[in-house]
Amino acid sequence: MDNILTVDNLKLYYYTSKGVVKAVDDISFSLNKGETLGLVGESGCGKTTTGFALLKMPTPPGKIAGGKIVVDGIDITPLRENEMRRNIRWEKISMVFQGAMNTLTPVYTIGKQMMETLQEHREMERDEARKRIEKYLNLVGLSGDIVKRYPHELSGGMKQRIAIATALFLEPKVIICDEPTTALDVIVQAQIINLLKDLKEKLDLSFIFITHDLATEAEVSDRIAVMYAGKIVEIGTNRQIYGEQGPCHPYTRNLLAATPRLHAKVNELSFIPGAPPDLLEPPSGCRFHPRCHLAMDKCKEEEPPLIEIEEEHMVACWRCEKR
Amino acid sequence: MFWKYMLKRVFYGILIYIILIFVFSALFNTVMEQTLRGQIDEEIRGELMALDNRSSQQIQDFIEMRRAEKYALYRLDKPIFERIVWRTWSTLTLNLGKSSSIRSAAGDRNVWAIVSEKIPRTLILFSSAMLIDIIIGIWLGLKKAQKAGGVLDKSTSVGTMVVFGMPSWWLGMILIMFFAYTIKVFPSGGLHATPPPEGIAFFLDALYHLALPVMTLVVIGFWGRAFLTRNIVLGVLQDDYIMAARARGIPERKVLYGHTMRTSAPPIVTMSLLALLASVSGNIVFEGIFNWPGMGNLFWFALQQNDVPVLMGNLAITTGLYICGLVLLDLVYGLLDPRIKVGGRA
Amino acid sequence: MRIGEMKSSFNEFWGEFRKVKSGMIGLVFLGLFLMILFFEPLLLPFEQANSRWKDITYWEDNPASAAPQWTNFFSSKKSSVSMPLEAEKKEVKNAGTIRIIEETFLYDYQYDAAPSDIIFRASGQANPTVIISVERPDGKKIDLLRKPLEVTQGKDLRIAIDKTSLNEAYNFLKSMDAATGLSKQTLKTTDILFSKVEESVVFTPQALKGEYRIMVSLILQKETDVIESTEMKVAGRVQGILGTDNSKRDIWSGVIAGVKWAMLIGLLTALISVSIGVVYGVMSAYLGGWKDSLMQRIFEIFISVPMLPVLIVMSAVFKPNIWMIIFIMCIFYWVGPVKTVRSMGLQIKEETYIEASRALGASNTRIIFKHMVPLLIPYAFASMALNVPGAIVVEATLSLLGLGDPNIVTWGQILQDAHNGGAMLSGMWWWVVPPGMAIAFMGMTFAFVGFAMDKILNPKLKTR
Repeated sequence: MDNILTVDNLKLYYYTSKGVVKAVDDISFSLNKGETLGLVGESGCGKTTTGFALLKMPTPPGKIAGGKIVVDGIDITPLRENEMRRNIRWEKISMVFQGAMNTLTPVYTIGKQMMETLQEHREMERDEARKRIEKYLNLVGLSGDIVKRYPHELSGGMKQRIAIATALFLEPKVIICDEPTTALDVIVQAQIINLLKDLKEKLDLSFIFITHDLATEAEVSDRIAVMYAGKIVEIGTNRQIYGEQGPCHPYTRNLLAATPRLHAKVNELSFIPGAPPDLLEPPSGCRFHPRCHLAMDKCKEEEPPLIEIEEEHMVACWRCEKR
Repeated sequence: MFWKYMLKRVFYGILIYIILIFVFSALFNTVMEQTLRGQIDEEIRGELMALDNRSSQQIQDFIEMRRAEKYALYRLDKPIFERIVWRTWSTLTLNLGKSSSIRSAAGDRNVWAIVSEKIPRTLILFSSAMLIDIIIGIWLGLKKAQKAGGVLDKSTSVGTMVVFGMPSWWLGMILIMFFAYTIKVFPSGGLHATPPPEGIAFFLDALYHLALPVMTLVVIGFWGRAFLTRNIVLGVLQDDYIMAARARGIPERKVLYGHTMRTSAPPIVTMSLLALLASVSGNIVFEGIFNWPGMGNLFWFALQQNDVPVLMGNLAITTGLYICGLVLLDLVYGLLDPRIKVGGRA
Repeated sequence: MRIGEMKSSFNEFWGEFRKVKSGMIGLVFLGLFLMILFFEPLLLPFEQANSRWKDITYWEDNPASAAPQWTNFFSSKKSSVSMPLEAEKKEVKNAGTIRIIEETFLYDYQYDAAPSDIIFRASGQANPTVIISVERPDGKKIDLLRKPLEVTQGKDLRIAIDKTSLNEAYNFLKSMDAATGLSKQTLKTTDILFSKVEESVVFTPQALKGEYRIMVSLILQKETDVIESTEMKVAGRVQGILGTDNSKRDIWSGVIAGVKWAMLIGLLTALISVSIGVVYGVMSAYLGGWKDSLMQRIFEIFISVPMLPVLIVMSAVFKPNIWMIIFIMCIFYWVGPVKTVRSMGLQIKEETYIEASRALGASNTRIIFKHMVPLLIPYAFASMALNVPGAIVVEATLSLLGLGDPNIVTWGQILQDAHNGGAMLSGMWWWVVPPGMAIAFMGMTFAFVGFAMDKILNPKLKTR
């Protein structure tokens, strides 16, 4: 399996008037062709920021402070904005944004916006472009007529599908989905999830699926990376994380425990005490140690590296040993 | 869908106008009637002159008879509510009575004739000023929004605040004193020189006279336009869809002038039109200072002459134009913003 | 919202406000205006400027249409300034029952432009014969006046040389054969008195500098005649910090006196109208349903009225005083904040604690006034600040048209006089510029403060 995306030691910091917020602090992972890598974590752990970092579009006052990103064999790290815009974004790697409801300009029709995007990247005759747009709209389950509509005339689910179609129709190698189902109701959620799975099969796509919802993650992802306070604390396959033995890192274990199961008896909802740390002054050593019930002295002093405890399963925790 | 919205809006506008005219008629009824009585007596006196000599008793009878007839004609003998309603109706049908002292260019005493010939002049003045205002203001506002918080932005904001409380007519006075008297570059007022020149020179002369008042208005006005544009554009720039458009690879030029401006257009255009409306209705003094023969100046003149019918007529027409403007505004907004034009889930 | 919460949010706001330079500058200016307000009696060279603005006797000793005194600084031709004259010598001579009071006033004239007038005043109870003459530095002595006049308790004797002695001055010229071709009407007494006059040369005013002695003799014939005090003053060619208008009023006094009215009108109108507007908007948002729609319809009617024309016609017909004018302005201005407040109110309404209050049985009034309105107070203040300049300009506009309250001195009134007095044509910039500048300046002050407040309270305006 070849890597379609490799991230090495990526850092993205926000340079605010109050100081430097280390939102993404030295993370590394890779995405294989045809797989879905899930990125999970609490709000503020840095997963959405990671998504933007991969597009090299940090929200100001953020800046990429280090690391290397390779997409489809191309090292995009040194590339300038112009090149990113012309050759990389949407061509090689695209994104379905969080809250896709608001990612369409309200005063242009759907058709105009899609056509505009298409024609920016490809030299195409209008007819050909129209055909392609229609093809992808159909793929996501929408009729071609929808191009005449304005965003406000459509439901959330429809807009989300359009966002997906737009992210796909240039046939990029990697698609980042940032919380694509969060703002939708449960039934539509299920539809979108199925759609994504279906598309992945059909078009042999590679996804990065960002969410805080563990249940969705379990459904969709082949492998899962768990983020905490700007760091990846555990990466493993779906089976390894959700399976019998379960994850190793205390944070991941707590996350799973905190998710109520349908058939288990619940006397008390478990939760993780404390709150996510302030990324201006993150805790020393392992960033999770203030909230970890298994914390030792070493955890306070030294930051644990990601080590492989079984094949394809990496954990950053002093308590975790090879299985 | 939009037609329904348009009809509703126009209907409301008309309704409100009727209500307002009714209120005005009620409020000013007493004064108007006083004037009317005075005018009637004058007319009767005029009629008396034309008659040959009669005895004083016959004269008295004649006066009484004519008075009764005229009063009946103008409904002055009816109860007050009916008088007010009748006055409202006359105003709405543009039957605005006669001026006590002013004549139109054609020598007409009819209030409608007097007022209506002033309308285009006021419109020319304020439309040209507003046009220049908008062009400069929007351009400047965009520049400010692009580098928000920067030097240009901050310094022009100060300019906005400096002219915020400055009466346009006072600036007019100052500029007249300077440009018309101290250094004689521009004429001190009026629409054209006397006697007005012919042909193309007439047109140029009018421009020449237009220059100083328009300059005054623009100097005061464009700051506000720039500030407003800047705020609206800034607000839009922070919206998610702008970021999304950039992510999709749309070049910055298209993002700014296409997506951003197109979305900002409805509020900017309507706010500008609103400002135009406000300036037209508020610049009575301004026209007076520049001796510009428009509706505002008419107000001032009628004030000095205490010519109530002209004041009332002018007020009715000004209000009417104002409401037309407001309705137009809403319609323009509706046209520009597809969320209203096409309806649907808001 | 408790006092404690309000205090802490105020502190937070103040911390932010302090960072905005323009806001702080605005506050400084505001402080300046307030100081003018409080120290008005000290700042007014003419203390009764407020009550006696239209009283010509109060101002009669000033020159008319005089430029400010400091213009001398910029001009090579120095104009004489107003000043009282010292009595060099005062004697009372007796000749039987007749008393003669002789007073000599010394005037060291070193200017290029002659004073507007020389004024002599005496108080007491008498019927003196007054003789005035002047001795010039070139030795020439001119008799200016010889006349029996009256002075009574309550009515001072006042002699203004410029008017009374034109004939005498003209005759002086003629005696020097310098008046050929010049008509009396075109000449000014003081110009003649204080200029060089050459034998047989047609007179042109050229300053004769040096010591002038003006002698006043009051011949008292009756025993009961009493003269209590005498004084002589020079009414200069220039006077005061801001000069005088054509009715001889000191413009600086007018401008200072106008400060309190401008602030009163602006603040009162803004306060009342914004308060009404905020409550209206909140109520409309909270009550919802048909009540909201009705309130919005009423609002639309009010907003469809062009304020100024209506205000003008109403003022012309009903001739209101300043309080009525403020009242009517409030009727128009309250609509300003309503739209924004209503949308803010609609947002607040959705908050759960509002629902909770209702569930607990709180009355509508309580919810509106205790929970919703306090949240809008910051915005209300910003709105008020931004409304003040508008109200001031409206009143000034009314005054300019002659529709203001004639009993008070406002900047608009001064400008009206300026316009009627042809100040623009005569180039009397000191009459036109200062009052308008005061209006603009106060507007600017409130704009600085208001925009700074708006910047902090309106998140969309924040720049990163």
